[in-house]
Amino acid sequence: MEVNNHNSSKGKVIASGIIPFAFVILMMVYIFGPGADLLDFGTPLPEVTIEKVDFIGSEIHATVRNTGPIPVEVVMADINDRIQPAAVEPDRFLERFETTLVRIPFEWNEAEPYIIGITIEDGTRFEKEVESAAPALEPSLDLAIFFAIIGTYVGIIPVMIGLLWLPFIKKISKQKFHFFLALTAGLLLFLAIDSIEEAIEVSDESLAGSFNGSLLVATVTILSFLGLYYSGNKLVERASSSKLAKPVAIALMISIGIGLHNFGEGLAIGAAVGLGSVAFSTFLIVGFALHNTTEGIAIAAPMSRGKLMIGKLAAMGMIAGAPAIFGAWIGGFSYSPFTSVIFLSIGAGAIFQVIVVIMKWIRDEGDHNLSSASVASGFAVGMLVMYLTSILV
Amino acid sequence: MILLLSLFIGFSVIALFPTFSNAQSESKTFVTHSGSVIKTSGEIIDPVYTTTVPEYTESTIEFDPMEYLREFNYGNVSTLPDGSALREFTIIADDDQIMEVSPGIFFNVWTFNGTVPGPTIRATEGDTVRIKFINNGSKEHTMHFHGIHPAEMDGVFEIVGSGGGQFIYEFEAGPVGVHPYHCHVMPLEEHIVRGLYGVFIVDPKEERPPADEMVMVLNGLDMDFDGENNFYAANTIPFYYQHHPIQINTNELIRVYVVNMVEFDPINNLHLHGNLYNYYPTGTDIVPSAYTDMITLSQTERGIMEFEYDYPGKYLFHAHKVEFSEKGWVGVFLVNDNQDENIQDSDYGS
Repeated sequence: MEVNNHNSSKGKVIASGIIPFAFVILMMVYIFGPGADLLDFGTPLPEVTIEKVDFIGSEIHATVRNTGPIPVEVVMADINDRIQPAAVEPDRFLERFETTLVRIPFEWNEAEPYIIGITIEDGTRFEKEVESAAPALEPSLDLAIFFAIIGTYVGIIPVMIGLLWLPFIKKISKQKFHFFLALTAGLLLFLAIDSIEEAIEVSDESLAGSFNGSLLVATVTILSFLGLYYSGNKLVERASSSKLAKPVAIALMISIGIGLHNFGEGLAIGAAVGLGSVAFSTFLIVGFALHNTTEGIAIAAPMSRGKLMIGKLAAMGMIAGAPAIFGAWIGGFSYSPFTSVIFLSIGAGAIFQVIVVIMKWIRDEGDHNLSSASVASGFAVGMLVMYLTSILV
Repeated sequence: MILLLSLFIGFSVIALFPTFSNAQSESKTFVTHSGSVIKTSGEIIDPVYTTTVPEYTESTIEFDPMEYLREFNYGNVSTLPDGSALREFTIIADDDQIMEVSPGIFFNVWTFNGTVPGPTIRATEGDTVRIKFINNGSKEHTMHFHGIHPAEMDGVFEIVGSGGGQFIYEFEAGPVGVHPYHCHVMPLEEHIVRGLYGVFIVDPKEERPPADEMVMVLNGLDMDFDGENNFYAANTIPFYYQHHPIQINTNELIRVYVVNMVEFDPINNLHLHGNLYNYYPTGTDIVPSAYTDMITLSQTERGIMEFEYDYPGKYLFHAHKVEFSEKGWVGVFLVNDNQDENIQDSDYGS
């Protein structure tokens, strides 16, 4: 009797959970079906976005996506506002979110700016400006090595140099140690803001309005934060049972966070080379390297409380730095603004997570008052150092 | 949750791999500006050259510039008590027509008698021109003629209401020459660039020498309403006379009535290849002002160009403001060998 009762109440719970969904579906069916006329006022404006421009041989290739609310037809292409015959592959009809490739034969000149225009059937023209034409990068071993070298300079070497502060941090008092932990948090906060800024910039430039760029960044950042926060806590819980590994676990999380950030940075660098918008000067490399050296400190600080484990430390340096290489490869060889935005946001979320972990650690270590002089000044100095080195980039 | 996840994955796959090219086996070709032949598995979008795509032929163009070129409307002619001629015309204005102005591109044009430009009205100096004007549009319109007429026939202050409003314009044709007519309702720029204009030719009482006569209205289209023309043309359709050359004969006098109706851009011009023309500004004088291959025209500036070709072949004519020609204001004269033995080689213009 009682079991039966329990079952029926469970059924009620399920039913009461499903009923609202059923109504939502009903409403949608009605709006798209018989009720469509009710909402049929106002003029939907068509929109296409030129997501990508490649310079290949004697042609300019534009990847065009329908980012508006209604189907469109690509009917004309122009270069610098001069009409050109072109080919559309596979065809000129674009449903919502569909893309097509517009091949415009054109004898373009390297390093010169071009504006690529696409006209749709109602005569509206959409354009995309390319600052400097550069031949599309053909994946080659030389280029892969070139990107690997840049990634090494920008990612691995500076992080490794930063790690060399470890013996110094090891010898200092707890107050000073907390200063360095807070400094790390400050550095990371700067990086997170930097990532978000860049993600929004990329989405503004290359993603259509229908992607809701800023909200996409916010959503991915928070999801990434929540995911890493949850799994990070599991990691630390497991680590604390074996005692020695808690600092290692935290350092590992920091390196993963920084690694994700550096992946995004690598994407940006690769893309910049690919799009020809950056002449890689040694000065720029030096700037990036100096900026990223501070990332090494962030890993070194928690590790200084454990035993000196050079192997693990080096591995973490690689986790933090090497993604810059992969990022540069992907960014250079198959750039997509959407992937860039996603990875930059994931990086930002990861870093926020690390900041929370560090602050918690400082608190657990006994400095309950997070507004102590060492913590506040550490945080402030962290931000300042990052800002000052960022001017070099 | 699984549904959401699969949606998200599907979405990111679409976003990450933008080009799923399901290449078709048949390939088409087209020729570029620089003459190279391009093959594609997709479609060709090409307002410039005749293509192999069947849907992009002249049949899709509702307005036939070739027909307009040599079509002159003399009206219903009757004789007035004093012995002079009365020419009666009916002109209907409308503003709801959607016209395919270039292959695949549609635009809401405002029209006199259904076309842009409106019909070419032609009379002889001294004739009485009587135009029954009906406004079937949703906005107010008028007809304003350049020329000599009483103030109340000027089509400026006598606004003709929408939905069937009427007005009779009556005046004596003059002076001799080529003149524009256009709607003169505010906002004036809009009423003109949308297409409410046409050509009014007044012939001298003593006829001009016989010639192959044609009308070219130099116009532009601002498709996106940003105050700049997206297309330029002779007689509305961009690149039309380039894929459909105007056929003329050697040693035959060609007379072109040219009227510049381009708005937004301060000047337009006409450059003729392989030849020079005698130019009669506004067509009001019988003595040409210049023998040249290049005349600059400001808004509604117009004139008559006369020339003959000695050698057969294809000759370009276009705006030498080449931006305009790259946006459609370009055409070709296909000069055929004249079969008529009687025509003598005149020393034109030399």
